[in-house]
Amino acid sequence: MQTHEQAELHGGGVADHIHPEPQTFVRKYIFSIDHKIIGLQYIITGFVFFILAGLLAEVIRAQMMHATGGVVDSNTYDEIYSVHGSAMVWLVVIPLLTGGFGNFVFPLQIGARDVAFPWLNMLSFWIFPPAGLMLFASFLMGAPQAGWTEYPPMSLQGQAGTSMWCAAIFLVGVSSTLTGINFLVTILKMRAPGMTFTRMPLFVWAQFATAPLLMIATTALAGALAALFMERQFGVPFFDPTKGGSPVLWQHMFWFYSHPAVYIMILPAFGMISEIFPTFTRKPIFGYKMIAFSSVAIALLGFMVWAHHMFTSGLAPWLQLPFMLLTMVIAIPTGIKIFSWVTTLWGGKIQFTTAMLFAIGFIATFTFGGITGVFLSAVPFDLHAHGTYFIVAHLHYVLVGGSLMGILAGMHYWFPKMSGRMLSEKVGRWTFWLFFIGFNGTFLPMHWQGLMGMPRRVAQYDPQFQGVNQFESYASVVMTIALLLFFYNVLWSLRHGKKAGPNPWGARTLEWQIPSPPHYYNFKHVPTVFAAPYDFAEPLPYTGLEDELTDSPGPQPASSSSS
Amino acid sequence: MAVASIAQHDEHQGVDRLYAETRDLRLQGFLLFLVSDIVLFSSFIFAYLYLRNSGQGFPPPGIGRLDVAFAAYNSMVLFGSGCTMHYALENWKHGNFNKYAGCLIATIVLGLMFLGGQGYEYHSLIVNDHVTWSGSGIFGASFFTLTGMHGFHVFVGVCYLSILLLQSVHGVYTKQKFFGLTAGTLYWHFVDVIWVVLFSIFYLI
Repeated sequence: MQTHEQAELHGGGVADHIHPEPQTFVRKYIFSIDHKIIGLQYIITGFVFFILAGLLAEVIRAQMMHATGGVVDSNTYDEIYSVHGSAMVWLVVIPLLTGGFGNFVFPLQIGARDVAFPWLNMLSFWIFPPAGLMLFASFLMGAPQAGWTEYPPMSLQGQAGTSMWCAAIFLVGVSSTLTGINFLVTILKMRAPGMTFTRMPLFVWAQFATAPLLMIATTALAGALAALFMERQFGVPFFDPTKGGSPVLWQHMFWFYSHPAVYIMILPAFGMISEIFPTFTRKPIFGYKMIAFSSVAIALLGFMVWAHHMFTSGLAPWLQLPFMLLTMVIAIPTGIKIFSWVTTLWGGKIQFTTAMLFAIGFIATFTFGGITGVFLSAVPFDLHAHGTYFIVAHLHYVLVGGSLMGILAGMHYWFPKMSGRMLSEKVGRWTFWLFFIGFNGTFLPMHWQGLMGMPRRVAQYDPQFQGVNQFESYASVVMTIALLLFFYNVLWSLRHGKKAGPNPWGARTLEWQIPSPPHYYNFKHVPTVFAAPYDFAEPLPYTGLEDELTDSPGPQPASSSSS
Repeated sequence: MAVASIAQHDEHQGVDRLYAETRDLRLQGFLLFLVSDIVLFSSFIFAYLYLRNSGQGFPPPGIGRLDVAFAAYNSMVLFGSGCTMHYALENWKHGNFNKYAGCLIATIVLGLMFLGGQGYEYHSLIVNDHVTWSGSGIFGASFFTLTGMHGFHVFVGVCYLSILLLQSVHGVYTKQKFFGLTAGTLYWHFVDVIWVVLFSIFYLI
């Protein structure tokens, strides 16, 4: 035993320092510094905002039932889709994928006892719910009406809530930046001994590629939001052309953030899929290094393509070509991932669990959204499709069919680890099929609408589209039922689900080798790692985990302070 | 592993290992914070250069060149404070407390002098030349926003260094454990470097 402790002292690093477990409810569940609790806080808060933003989406679909609208007036309709988009991007998808799953899963996967700065982590989280409430509260003073992108001059003339929107998104940005710094330092410095970069699970690689985006891109957005806020509140001219400013400047500043943000919203989902596939095919992932490096390549390229959102904004022709080509280049690392996943399926013993169904569904819908993305990167096509429902279809295929499917796959995969209980597979199957059918029914026809010229963000439309819009609205109800089933499944299983045990899926990454839910300090002894986790033919590549599932007492705070 | 080698090195120096590793994490986190701060400045610098080159009336009528000579003197004050900060940290490492305190106080005073100089410049621009934040087109907007942000950073730095001075007087730091001073020095040099860029884009080009 003594030798074991000694070995650990020389390998484990800061991870060995254990704080006593908090005893009061407030310190344990509210102002917790435990990365697992903070992750769950993000997930719960994110899903609450998801329900609110989803209700707004249903109002949009209700309005679209008739060509003349009639549910809400045009101004309110503008407010609703603007807040729906902003909330889904900043309050749902980004916090769930980074703050939620990132916080809960990746420190366990690298064998750390917490993130590098637990107090900063708590601060990051507690900035987020007030910012979200501010965004929804902007309805009280006239919500923003220029869409989630808030282009000037419309946003300059917008109602008072637009300034509130600036402040809310700025705060979410601060939270993201701090999370990015925290995650990056954690991954760089706090891996368990032997966990080299090429032995990290692919979800960790995905977070490693995402963290710099969170840190750098979000700060650039903060600059843009501060400028818009100053212009609206103090009349400082940045974007108003009558005072020498330029509305196109906003588009540059906004998209310099928001294009990388697209990858913030998809890379962690890629990471989840890369965990789920090997587990449920019982096969090593195909092309481990290519998947890992392509995440980094996507993150780097993501900074060089922002102006492809601006082909119709008077961008000089000599600038359009490089942005078009660089955008198309992103299809290469993305394609590498898709092919690697599909090749992982080949010859595997596939288990169609709900998580796996969502992961396979993800491949189908995300690839579809990715291909329409390649369409849109071509300048001539973009000139035709810009500002139509084709864009709405494309972005929902990557954000709902990509990110949200990833989140649902991840929820079904990691729920046993989070709660110690299984989700009902039967309800899960219904969830998946209803969601998949409802989703495609809602958004697939939008491609056609867009190509036929139906503009986005309109409260009334040409009556020739009424039939297809009604079809989409009914399909969106199917999608809503699927999500209600999912929430029912989560709430029911929390109490009545089957006990999960430490490793219900037979997965090989570190988080599955410890009890569910994990102890406060994660690992009794920080493990040593000998190989990447995915080789199902080999024994587990870890030592130091022998005591995890026994009754032996965990590490004691008093003894560690003497180290 | 870098962490382990630093830790072992420090064990020879008699510093406990936990501190060494925590310092390592903090240093990296602090550097990343500075990187994100650079991005924040960059977005406004980009905005200024973009608007300036978009050909919509730059420079705005009625605004001559800025007073380069005065700003240069003021820059020397700030760069001088960077030197004194460097010597403050070096003296701390060598255990010369009095020289350390002298250099740190000099840094704080020079920082305040820089802020005073900037206040004087703002005053003469606003009162004599009628250049304002919101009323002078993109020049006023960019100049006051960027130099104001920088001035705010200097102000925060002065407060930070004052706290460090008090802490070191009260024995918070030792010859081996002084991460706060390292961070303060890094921050102060960062503020200097930002000023080099701002001086170039507003006064020189």
